[in-house]
Amino acid sequence: MSSTLKRNNVRISGSGERFIVFAHGFGCDQNMWRLVSPAFENEFRTVLFDHVGAGGSDLAAYNTVKYSTLAGYANDLVEIGDELGVKDAVFVGHSVSSMIGVMASIKAPEMFESLVLVGPSARYIDEGEYIGGFSRAQIDELLESLADNHLGWSAAMAPAIMGNPDRPELGEELTNSFCRTDPDIAKEFARVTFMSDNRDDLGKVTARTLILQCREDIIASEEVGEYVRQNIPNSEMVILNATGHCPNLSAPNEVVAAIKAFV
Amino acid sequence: MSGDHINTPTEDLEDLYENAPCGYLSLRPDGRIFKSNATLSGWIGFSQGELLGKKLHELLTTAGRMFYETHFSPLLRMQGFFNEVALDLVTKDGKKLPVLANAMERRDDAGNLLFIRVTIFLAAQRRRYERDLVDLRTAAEAAKREAIAAKVLAEAGLTEEQAVAELREQFIAVLGHDLRNPLASIGAGTRMLLKEELSERAQKIVALMQGSVSRMSGLIDNVLDFARGRLGGGIAVDLNAREPLELVLQQVVDELRVGSPSRLIETHFEITHKVYCDRARIGQLASNLLGNALAHGAADKPIQFVVSTTSEQLEMSVVNGGDPIPPEAMNRLFHPFFRGDVRDSPQGLGLGLHIASEIAKAHGGTLVVASSPIETRFTFQMPLRPGGEG
Repeated sequence: MSSTLKRNNVRISGSGERFIVFAHGFGCDQNMWRLVSPAFENEFRTVLFDHVGAGGSDLAAYNTVKYSTLAGYANDLVEIGDELGVKDAVFVGHSVSSMIGVMASIKAPEMFESLVLVGPSARYIDEGEYIGGFSRAQIDELLESLADNHLGWSAAMAPAIMGNPDRPELGEELTNSFCRTDPDIAKEFARVTFMSDNRDDLGKVTARTLILQCREDIIASEEVGEYVRQNIPNSEMVILNATGHCPNLSAPNEVVAAIKAFV
Repeated sequence: MSGDHINTPTEDLEDLYENAPCGYLSLRPDGRIFKSNATLSGWIGFSQGELLGKKLHELLTTAGRMFYETHFSPLLRMQGFFNEVALDLVTKDGKKLPVLANAMERRDDAGNLLFIRVTIFLAAQRRRYERDLVDLRTAAEAAKREAIAAKVLAEAGLTEEQAVAELREQFIAVLGHDLRNPLASIGAGTRMLLKEELSERAQKIVALMQGSVSRMSGLIDNVLDFARGRLGGGIAVDLNAREPLELVLQQVVDELRVGSPSRLIETHFEITHKVYCDRARIGQLASNLLGNALAHGAADKPIQFVVSTTSEQLEMSVVNGGDPIPPEAMNRLFHPFFRGDVRDSPQGLGLGLHIASEIAKAHGGTLVVASSPIETRFTFQMPLRPGGEG
C-alpha cells in the first residue's frame, strides 16, 4: 500500500465504475459511514479514510504546521484522489469535512463531479451579519475545556477500546478503532475546525453540490446550511427529518436515499 | 436464626428509582427527556416536570454540548453504550456540576431504538483530583523539560573545552586542506609541463614555479603549525625510526635547489644511528633553516648543510655567509613574525625560525644561533631517542 493510502488508512470497497469518497468529521473516524457506505457498493467504488490523527491513520504523519489549517487536510484528500485516479467522482463529507471537500474540489476541480455536504458550516463563529451559531467566547471555552479536560477526554475515549457485547457484528477490530482519536491531535483539530473560515471558498466551487441539513443540529444550524447553499453556485439543500449533527448514524437510510436521488 | 427473614427489609423499587444514590434520565430516540428521578432534580435544581421534553445537551455547557454531539452521541449510536464520560451539568442557578455519565441504548427485537438510559454520578471530588493530576502531570512535564535543558547545558559546559579543541583541529585541517589542494594541482601541472617539449625559457619559468610551490607549501605548514601552537594545540610529533631520515632531508634540499637554482647548497650527511624523530617535522625544520639562509645569506656564498649523529645525539647545522645578525635582533630571532629586515624576503611571514625552534622543543632538542661576520650558524641538536633511554 502506498504511503498516502497507509497514512490515511484508506479502505476501498464496491464494484462500480465511479468513485464515491466519504470523509468523516471532527470527533470520529471512518466508522461514521459504516451504515451509509455499504449502500453504494453496488454502483460505486467506495473510498473511506481517516484524517491524520483519527482512527487507524498514521499518527507519526501528524505535522503541526501542515495541519494548522484545513488546507493540510484538503491536500491529503487530493493526494488520496490522485493516488487512486479519482475523476468525476462523488464526494460525501460530514461536518468539517464538508469544507475540506470544498477546498479539495477547488484545488482539483476534475476530481469531484458532485459534492454532498452533510451538516456543513463555512464558519462556526458569528461575525457581523454572519451567524455561525457560536460566539468567539463559546469556542474559546470549548477549546479550553479540551485542553484542560485531559482525563475526561481519555475517559471518553475509553469505551471505544472496550468490548461491545450488544453489537457483536461490529467485530473486535472495528470496536477497537471506534472514534479512536489521539487527544493532543484532537485538541488541535478542534481548534482548526472551529476557528476555520471558508466563506470565501464557497463561490469558487464548480461541482454540483447537495447540502444535507438536519433539524436541531446544534453544531451546524439550518441558517448556517442555508448560507452554504446560497453561496455555492450550483447547489441545492435537502432538509432531513433526522435531528442532531450525525444523521449518518441516526438516520442512515434517509441519508442514503437523499444521496442516491442526487447522484 | 429464625428472626433474619423477618428483619429483611423489602426494597421499594419505585423509591429505588426516585431516590437512588445516582441520577437517572431516560431519553426518547430524538434525545428528549421523558423520565428522570428525584435525585437528579435535587442536584441540578430543575424539577422533574421542568426536565420533561428537554434535550440532554440543554443541561450541558456549550463546550460540553459540542463535545457530546461530536463524540459521545456517535459513540452511543455505534456501540450502543458509553461509560464513564466526564460532563459538566449546568444547574438551574447556572453553576457547573461535574458528573460522570454512563448510557445505554434500549432497542426492540428488530433493532429499532426504543430509548436511551443515562445514569449520572457526582464526580466533583474525583474531577478535582483528576484536574490536580493533570496539573501535576503538566508540571512534571515542564520540570522534566527543564531538567533535560539543564542537563544539556551542563554537558555543553563540560564539553565546551573539548568542543573548542575539536573545532580548532577541524579549522586547521580544513584550512590546510583548502590551501594545499590548489597548490598540489599547480605542482602537478608544472611536473606535467616539464615532460612536454618546452623552450629553454619556458623550462626556466616552470622550474621557478616549482620552487614557488615548494616554498608556498612550507609557508602553509608554518602558518598552520603556528595556528595550532597558538590556539593551544602545540606541535604534535610522531617519534619513530622506521625509515631513514636522510631521504627526507635530501628531498628538502632538492626542492630548495629547484626553487633557487642560482644558489649553491652543499650537503654533508653522516647519519649512522637510528634517530627517533618525526621525519616530516625534522624536514620542515631543515627547510625552514635553509629557507632562512637562502633569504638572508649572501647570494654569492654557498650554504652548508651538515647533519651527523653521535651515539647520543643528532646534530644539524645550517651555515651561511653574509652580514651578521645584529645583536639586538638575536633575542627575538625565534619569536613569531620576527623579520630581520624588510629587504627581499621570500619567506615572508617570519614564522620559519619560530616554528623550527618549536619543532626542536617538541623533540627534546635545542636550536641555537651563532652569528659573526664570517658566518651565521644555526645548530639543532636532539637526543637520538627523545624522552627515553636507549
